[in-house]
Amino acid sequence: MRLLTERFADAAPTLWTDEDTVEITIPGAGAADALRTLRDDPELDFWMLADAAAVDYGPTERFEVVYHLYSDRHPAWLRVRATVSRADPRLPTITQLWSGAGFHEREMFDMMGIVFEGNRDLRRLYMSPDYRSFPQRKDFLLPDDAADSPAAGVNPLERPETWDLTRFAALGPLNPLADAGAPTDASAVVADPAGEQPEPSPVGAGQTDASRSRPR
Amino acid sequence: MTATEPREGRIPDPIDLDAAEEARLRTAAGIAPAVATAAGAEYAGFEMVGIPDRPPQTERERELFTVDEGEMLVNMGPQHPSTHGVMRLLLKVRSEVVTDLDVVLGYLHRGIEKLCENATYTTVLTYVDPMDYLSSMHNEHAPALAFEKLYGIEAPPRAQYIRALVVELNRVFSHGLMMGFLALDMGGITPILYGFINRDEIVEMLASISGQRMLFNFFRVGGVNWDVNDEFLSRLGTWHSKQLRSIRDNEALLTENEIFRARTQKMGIISREQAIQLGVTGPNLRASGVPFDVRKAHPYAPYAELEFDVITQQAGDVYARYIQRIDELKQSMHLIEQIMDKMPHGPVQAQVPGIIRPRPGRAYAAIESPRGLYSVYAISDGGPNPYRFRMRDPSLISLQVMPTLMPGHLIADTMAIMASLDPVMGGVDK
Repeated sequence: MRLLTERFADAAPTLWTDEDTVEITIPGAGAADALRTLRDDPELDFWMLADAAAVDYGPTERFEVVYHLYSDRHPAWLRVRATVSRADPRLPTITQLWSGAGFHEREMFDMMGIVFEGNRDLRRLYMSPDYRSFPQRKDFLLPDDAADSPAAGVNPLERPETWDLTRFAALGPLNPLADAGAPTDASAVVADPAGEQPEPSPVGAGQTDASRSRPR
Repeated sequence: MTATEPREGRIPDPIDLDAAEEARLRTAAGIAPAVATAAGAEYAGFEMVGIPDRPPQTERERELFTVDEGEMLVNMGPQHPSTHGVMRLLLKVRSEVVTDLDVVLGYLHRGIEKLCENATYTTVLTYVDPMDYLSSMHNEHAPALAFEKLYGIEAPPRAQYIRALVVELNRVFSHGLMMGFLALDMGGITPILYGFINRDEIVEMLASISGQRMLFNFFRVGGVNWDVNDEFLSRLGTWHSKQLRSIRDNEALLTENEIFRARTQKMGIISREQAIQLGVTGPNLRASGVPFDVRKAHPYAPYAELEFDVITQQAGDVYARYIQRIDELKQSMHLIEQIMDKMPHGPVQAQVPGIIRPRPGRAYAAIESPRGLYSVYAISDGGPNPYRFRMRDPSLISLQVMPTLMPGHLIADTMAIMASLDPVMGGVDK
């Protein structure tokens, strides 16, 4: 505790403890340097990276990458919370300190979309390489378990922002999204640059099967 | 020759498209154009199939898919019987020798963390069971400890002893199976049968206490579901009286076996520094000479009151990891005896409401699973379900050793080395 306040004077106000954990919060850009100090300082000597995980504090808030460290010299786990901006989630890698962090970082990239700069192998770990979402973010909602959430019934793979809404423009009053107050002009559509938009299905001429892509 | 061009003299596959049509479809679908396969694509009459038809995404992937003259890519899995589940190994080989290796995961990914974030604290303990399916009791133990810390309660002493008893029983059958799988992957069929006989006795015993054979759902926040009963105790007594002899019998099949030793000693050596650097934990770490055991390092109840040793090996090879499992098995038997002697009387479940709403906060709980450090980091926002539920599974990190370990070994030894790390795909893929 005393050592931590000496080494990390800036972060000293964020120190927090419970029965067997000491916690410190630092900005994400300095995470790798702080962890290097924690590992290499002979008095601190946190030689083992027990866990590295990302936490999403909601679409308007921030990400946190949480490292848990272990040392024989200290009776508590050390938790380092590195805050990362949600708009630009970038963080230096720690694979040069512990190469075992590689899979942790790949998992965080896969699930949360956090980019670790300097990691040689930042691929998706679980999802397929052409997958485009980040499933553990809080704005990725499950269709069934989140029945009382605002997104109840929405298939997450069919997210509204990826829909090609221009195909409804010609429908006029029949436009299924007009009453929902959704934007109907194509400029509001946040589409992937690679353009993974489905072709309009060839239903009868002049008719569009609106029930197919409509939220139930 | 590119991977997609029909080869001269081969009957064209109906799926082969002409180049212009394929380029058009690729552009329409937003997929990058096909890249030409590297030199040495054709070797000894085999056609290269491992290279994906997209540009490499990372430096490491480029290195992996750059195939020199005389090298080729061999795909192992995802349905390979020896991969302990569905996992794919991509081997780059020069004749019989592995020069590089990539572990491809995700075939069993169920998104358990996400599911748990949408479940109540009580039901989380049922979701984590099928993760590492050879140590279900351990899977429940860490979340139960984390949630108790969040909620500010502690399990009654008797519940803590029952927990320790069932997790040690679970460790015994998990280690027993590892010995069997290791032999099976090298072609010996008998030890796995003994391993399963032993496992069956233990799971029947655990079924009599929890009601299920494999996914026990036995732990509760604040205790365990049931107290020990007569059937459990009588089964435990019968099993215990012959267990030490059966460990010795199983061991006699392998430990002194000439072929087994020839194939495991000085094979797949993880040095002490490498093991720390790569984040290996559990028996694999201790087999490399690092005496780290969560039960000693951060003792959770009731391990502070029990007496046991942290055993280490020095060699760090496949054989050392095997011997390490046997020694830990004996330690577990020693622990089970002590637990049965010391078990106090009293309730097995603390008073908790049906829907638990802990105060906002964070909790980290780590336990020693048969595969190493298994930890849970849970965040509460005051609601009925955890805001964030993170599990660190040791098998995933053990598997990461493979690309470091394999170069220079034969293809046939891949399975022995992997089995000695004892990964379980349910845990790796979460």
